[in-house]
Amino acid sequence: MINSRYVTEIGYLSFNHVGEELCGDHIEITSPDESTKILVLADGLGSGVKANILSTLTSKMLSSMIAGDISIQECIKCIANTLPVCKVRKVAYSTFSIIKIKDNRYVDIYNFDNPEPFVIHNGKVMDLIYETTIIDNKNIHHTKYEASPYDTFFLMSDGVKYAGVGETLNFGWDMPQIKDFLGLIYRQEASSKALATELANRCNELYNFRPGDDTTVAVVRIRERKQVNVLIGPPTNKEDDEMMLSLFFAKEGTHIVSGGTTGTIVARYLKKDVVLDSSGYLDKDVPPIAFIEGVDLVTEGIITITKVLEYANNYLDKNSEYMNWYYAQDGASLIAQQLFENATDINFFVGCAMNNAHQGEETGINFTTKMHLIDDLADKLKMMGKNVRISYF
Amino acid sequence: MTVFVCVGSSCHLKGSYEVIELLTKRVKEEHLENQIELKGTFCLGKCGVAGVSIKVDDEIITGVTPKNFDDVFNNHILTKIKG
Repeated sequence: MINSRYVTEIGYLSFNHVGEELCGDHIEITSPDESTKILVLADGLGSGVKANILSTLTSKMLSSMIAGDISIQECIKCIANTLPVCKVRKVAYSTFSIIKIKDNRYVDIYNFDNPEPFVIHNGKVMDLIYETTIIDNKNIHHTKYEASPYDTFFLMSDGVKYAGVGETLNFGWDMPQIKDFLGLIYRQEASSKALATELANRCNELYNFRPGDDTTVAVVRIRERKQVNVLIGPPTNKEDDEMMLSLFFAKEGTHIVSGGTTGTIVARYLKKDVVLDSSGYLDKDVPPIAFIEGVDLVTEGIITITKVLEYANNYLDKNSEYMNWYYAQDGASLIAQQLFENATDINFFVGCAMNNAHQGEETGINFTTKMHLIDDLADKLKMMGKNVRISYF
Repeated sequence: MTVFVCVGSSCHLKGSYEVIELLTKRVKEEHLENQIELKGTFCLGKCGVAGVSIKVDDEIITGVTPKNFDDVFNNHILTKIKG
């Protein structure tokens, strides 16, 4: 619901069984209409190709059927009849967890043989109460729950539960320890992706970075919308400065200005000074930030954004750079924190003026690079589940 | 005296970070911490020229590189201070 104050935010991360190219866990997210979000986490038996095929088929079929309002009974029967039977194990399915959230409030969870999904409510871990139905000889657990803002649901494959077996712990940790760990790291401002990353990273550590099983964590939470506005580059026509900036500053939320020349124009418009951060270079690859009263963040342009794009690509992959930007204070990290963590809705105000100083220089900065960069970043942000709008001036 | 080093995109790529390091080091060596203030600045408008742009009081000096840094420091900064 685009007009709602709240939004359902999803974040997940997987680590593959050591030595496997493919993950045997699969996550499928669908949104049949604006107010409904469905996530399916399937864990195929075994690991590698076979597990990957089983879990991919299971999660894809389940998510489309649930999206089509087909009963869980029908879904299970359909899957059992369709999936190839594993020769070794003589069974034809993968385990799964399904969460469906409607209107950021009405939650349905189905669980079959994965660790039982639970919720963090008011900052405390809370178990959900499940009812068991037997469908096709399988125990399917189901719960209905009415969520409040900032309720955070955790779904996981059993690789999480067995983390550390034979490596750092004799018997792995177990659900109570996992819940204790989450109780410790949870904070309301942490995004779903941040929480999923921190739990999955913890598992990877326990496994001594050699996971003995595919390990997947999915986090789904209800959060308030936050708008972040980014201004990049001066407009093509100088006369449009005023118009572009008044539209930019009329937007609610955080305001980020990226680019030296752009910063100067903004300062002139606000009748304030640009003051460069006296701490200078915090990261030698990222130019220092600056301050303008009335703007939340002022950074250099193209190099900083290039770094943000690097972080965005990594975020969508293994998120291994997470600790490098999550707490750092350089321009690129600060933008990453705002866009990846804080924002649900992002407006780019892109000025298309050519920076004559940069054209045809040995530095490799030019107009086309800049436009590609912003398009690329916008795409990555959309893949993160953000609502992104770009206006050109 | 204030010495500004450009940290705009173009100068950054041409070595602002190194120039700032060298400047900080020289200022320390010459015990000029109380006389010279180092500051960053956005674009000084001389991007087309090779090397980094710096501004010593009101004078803009372009093309500063680690190679010619000592010359620049001696000729444009030291002489002014001692001058």
